[in-house]
Amino acid sequence: MKKEEIFEKITPIFAKVLEHNNFNLTETTTTNDVDGWGSLTHMIIIEEIEKEFNIKFKLLDLMNMDNVGDLVKAITSSIS
Amino acid sequence: MKYIGNLHKSIEKHLKNNAFYIDNTFFTYKDFAIRISKIRHTITGTVNNSVKLIGLITNDDIDTYAAIVAFWLEGKAYVPINPDHPIDRNVDILNSLGTSYVFDSSKKTDFPNFILLKPSEPEITAINLKPKKVSDKDLAYILFTSGSTGAPKGVPITYNNLNEFIEGINYDNEFKLNSSDKCLQMFELTFDFSVVSYIFPLLEGACIYTVPRESIKYFYIYKLIKTHNLTVLSLVPSIIHYLRPYFNEIHAPEVRYCSFGGGALYNDIIEDWSKCIPNSKTFNYYGPTENTIYSSYYKLNKNSSLNKTHNGVITIGQPLNNVLYTIVDKSNQEIPIGESGELVLASGQLTPGYWKNEKKNKESFFTKTENGKTIRYYKTGDLCFKDSENNYMYLGRIDFQVKIRGFRIELSEVEFHAKAKCHEKINMVAIDIFNDLGNAELALAIESEAFNTNNIVNHMKAKMPDYMVPAHIKFIKEFPYNNNGKIDRKKLRTYFK
Repeated sequence: MKKEEIFEKITPIFAKVLEHNNFNLTETTTTNDVDGWGSLTHMIIIEEIEKEFNIKFKLLDLMNMDNVGDLVKAITSSIS
Repeated sequence: MKYIGNLHKSIEKHLKNNAFYIDNTFFTYKDFAIRISKIRHTITGTVNNSVKLIGLITNDDIDTYAAIVAFWLEGKAYVPINPDHPIDRNVDILNSLGTSYVFDSSKKTDFPNFILLKPSEPEITAINLKPKKVSDKDLAYILFTSGSTGAPKGVPITYNNLNEFIEGINYDNEFKLNSSDKCLQMFELTFDFSVVSYIFPLLEGACIYTVPRESIKYFYIYKLIKTHNLTVLSLVPSIIHYLRPYFNEIHAPEVRYCSFGGGALYNDIIEDWSKCIPNSKTFNYYGPTENTIYSSYYKLNKNSSLNKTHNGVITIGQPLNNVLYTIVDKSNQEIPIGESGELVLASGQLTPGYWKNEKKNKESFFTKTENGKTIRYYKTGDLCFKDSENNYMYLGRIDFQVKIRGFRIELSEVEFHAKAKCHEKINMVAIDIFNDLGNAELALAIESEAFNTNNIVNHMKAKMPDYMVPAHIKFIKEFPYNNNGKIDRKKLRTYFK
């Protein structure tokens, strides 16, 4: 799956969980840049992404996610 | 002051050791000592001797921590101010202190009306850690917590309070750090569990690993445990609620101590968590900020089925050596063992009283003569009972205070700011609800037809820290009432499920 496709799939997940679409996800986007993206919503976003792509992240992947780019990379490696 | 003298000795003794790990960088005790010395140089050159309070902008960098120790060595108190909190609230706090001084290590400051202190520029490398003489009654810090009238409430803690606390913990010899320990510091400096997380490591020459404010804390903490083999953890229970789905991937045999506090600790999750930290002694601590950090604790059993619990919640144990607990009725009279009532406590750790708030002091403190001695008690507002083995069990709050992410919140303060932007009189009730992970969140129920709440939410964000802004808002046409004619908060909660 191409990066662009992954971005297209995760953007609505963020919007649904955060209840707004006031953001533009890029590889360098962090929790700081998006309103409402915090401890709890992060957990829900991760669960929704796992469902959408039918994958299960490892704690080791999750602990190294510093921005959306890392998240996309982890999705890519999980589905391949 | 004994603990300040011990800090001085420990820093000098461990100059080569790492003191802090902050944002991927290690700082040795020598680095720390030099920064402390520079800050002292600034203080002695700028701040009048008679000034005792200094606002400390908590940028959570090495200079923020160095400032705390520098202030103490200079006989001054720090008042932590979180730069992410609304500026109005922060300025109100600073104004109520009557101080003109603010220490801010950041490049750009939000406090133009105060005299700004920064570490001195010229390269001072001479280490100066000799403490100035202080009196027992001088203050070590003031922490501000949510207040019921819409303004935050200050809790001053004296040098002697903090000293008594450290002596109380050391007395039992259950929690004893050494210079090779690697200790987690996950708390905001505006929250008093942060004090435990930095002071015990500094007193022994151990290293403190901090958690950046913007990180997803539970994953960052796991990363620190995994990458640096941390040995001492101080946590709020919500951290392990978040990590629970991943417990089978966590194996941290290096952890020697794990302390919990700031919320109900459930025995079922502890049973699973203890397998992740098989060699750890684990404690459940309890204590209001007013009585300096921890007042009592329970040491958990290796076999969790032996833990004392009530409705699955682990007991808050027995008071520290120098702390007196009593369970009382509404007229402050002691009640028999096993009956529930308000926990009142007395000790040398107890604050001299809320900052400039006589009304609240009259409500919260009372004196009682016992065996010819006058004892000053603090009413915690916590509903508890004592079991036949002298363990205390926490049942909940008597008043309208809740805990979100370990922070104490007066629901009336939230309601006050929520209603402020409404022209019409509309009933609004703030309540705490529990999400699927069992963590408390704040919700706001509005008795009205639906309307746009952007104004209300923006106003709340401008006046209160983010943890006080309700995460959920619901409109309810008519609030449920109980038999006493009061709004039925229990029933209200069901609307949020």
